[in-house]
Amino acid sequence: MTELWLQGWAAVAPGIDVASDHAAWQAWAADPRPLRGETRPDVKFLPAMQRRRCDGLSRMMLAVANACCPESLRGDALSVFASRHGSFDTTVSMLETLAKDEPLSPTQFSHSVHNTQAGLFSIWANDQQLAQSLASRNETFEHGFLEAVCLLARSGGRPVLFVTGDEALPEPVAHLSDDPHPPYAVGLLLGSQPVETGGAGIRFDLETGQGADPQLAWPRALEFVRWWLAKDECLALGDSPRRFSFRRQS
Amino acid sequence: MSRGPCRLVALGMHHALGSSLEEIGPRLVAGDQDGVVQRDDLVPGATGFYAQARGALPPLPEALSEYACRNNQLAESALGQIRGPIDAAIERFGAHRVGVVVGSSTSGFSEAEDAFRERHVSGALSPTFSLAQLEFGGLCDYVARASGAQGPRQSPSTACSTGAKALLSARSLLDLGFCDAVIAGAVDSLCRLTANGFAALHAVSAGITNPMSANRDGLTLGEGAALFLLTREEGGVQLLGGGESSDAHHMSAPHPEGRGAEQCMRAALADAGLDAEDIAYLNLHGTGTPQNDAMESAAVARVFEQPVPCSSTKPLVGHTLGASGAIEAGFCWLVLARRADGDRRLVLPPHRYDGERDPALPAIELVESSGDGFALDVRGPVALMSNSFGFGGSNCALILGDARS
Repeated sequence: MTELWLQGWAAVAPGIDVASDHAAWQAWAADPRPLRGETRPDVKFLPAMQRRRCDGLSRMMLAVANACCPESLRGDALSVFASRHGSFDTTVSMLETLAKDEPLSPTQFSHSVHNTQAGLFSIWANDQQLAQSLASRNETFEHGFLEAVCLLARSGGRPVLFVTGDEALPEPVAHLSDDPHPPYAVGLLLGSQPVETGGAGIRFDLETGQGADPQLAWPRALEFVRWWLAKDECLALGDSPRRFSFRRQS
Repeated sequence: MSRGPCRLVALGMHHALGSSLEEIGPRLVAGDQDGVVQRDDLVPGATGFYAQARGALPPLPEALSEYACRNNQLAESALGQIRGPIDAAIERFGAHRVGVVVGSSTSGFSEAEDAFRERHVSGALSPTFSLAQLEFGGLCDYVARASGAQGPRQSPSTACSTGAKALLSARSLLDLGFCDAVIAGAVDSLCRLTANGFAALHAVSAGITNPMSANRDGLTLGEGAALFLLTREEGGVQLLGGGESSDAHHMSAPHPEGRGAEQCMRAALADAGLDAEDIAYLNLHGTGTPQNDAMESAAVARVFEQPVPCSSTKPLVGHTLGASGAIEAGFCWLVLARRADGDRRLVLPPHRYDGERDPALPAIELVESSGDGFALDVRGPVALMSNSFGFGGSNCALILGDARS
């Protein structure tokens, strides 16, 4: 069992594309309607050249990273970037180029790696701390959170920025997906102690038992946001027999 | 965080040096390059050198056919070599206490390339194609299902530092008590996507890669798998420490002075509680690109005031990208494990190149020999380091060795 503090958070999804718009998320959590509309968050904080190289996932992930990581911590946070499919639009575009025996774009290739968003973030924030990137199919959120918990224990008191997100899958493979979802990104700033500006505690554990309710309607990262805002006591995620439990600290 | 022992109990590998440790060990110290072959089917209109996995790849179990791809066959080959110790760990700790941290930078790209070529010709993806082959998490899922491990499972993917960082993530799961044993490592397979990508970056060598040479002109791609079983046990080969850093500089070029490389080597030494002079051998990242070798030798020369024997093993197995950190940690493991009882001689992998040192690079001590490797007399507990640096400025250094009291 691990105790940690949620020191900040931000999220974007269709129709809520200002990462710091907690009021919009509060309204959604009270009445979770389908998320529709634009998901093109503002990343004007990035230099123009970096901004041009951002695909949809990079825009979303960097927007939430920026919104939940205060300037005072910039350059000093360890980070975990978790995505099931990563920059999948870029991968598919390269696969289509290869199918035609045409040459790949070097920039596209170097921005297709799974740690693209971690790399872009570290460059923008001038953050030389360790950054991890990972995937774990439909348990990607849970394992990203677990990795962040592990880094928190190694961080020497520094907070850990956990960013997770995915785009909707592009057309040629969309029909193969077993978890259709809207594009989204969620950023959580996790600390090992409370901060003056508030925040609240979470008890996190990995147990054996019943995992996530198979009827969950939303990507698990958004289920986490909904749980957090709805002030329910416990959230269980993971695929049985893995049960990742999140409990609110009163 | 209190850190206990972390034993690398068992290792399975498959790459250009062979498909078992019995094959790989002697070929490693002999500097065998027979696994590097010429292929003309990866980059249109170009014949190049590739370090292809030597030996047959096993079929996947019928029940796991959804995962069928070359990458998972390489994983299966390495897994098959350590099934006994994994079964024993599952028996002893319970399946839910055994985790999987196995990463990749390619996953099943080669099968996806075939599927998209089929789509280009006929309009539909091949019917055998599945997302489980292509998505990175398909690899940890495959290893978990094929091994019976039911603990946490994730596939790290940080380009060419993936395999090294996987071992440190696995150690954290042990240290924090989330697991009692972890299958950790990485797997990458040759495919057109990486071959054409590095060709587009003009990073590929015309001949076999020639690291640290004045004539070096790029990397040679390779493929392979290395899977370890890690526990909290004492003894054997220990993961003594690790350091990770970000360059915060450029997506595909390293920081020219090796800022992040130096930082992660120093962090690894601090983590292990060792000084630079405690390191008996350094396995270089040594890709053979002009930029990597320049910045790495500069960083090594700054960290190691007393010269340390170094070699790049990429002329033997190629740059196996995501798998390289795990495979090269595997080479350090083999050097340590192949000592006979009471034998104080380490036999080191040679640095194979054309012998023409680049005078513009800071002088580092390369393990130059031919034939039966290079023997080094050592006293006391031994520690070896391995470097990995990747796209996105992702750096990791590992230290493996004997426990110290």
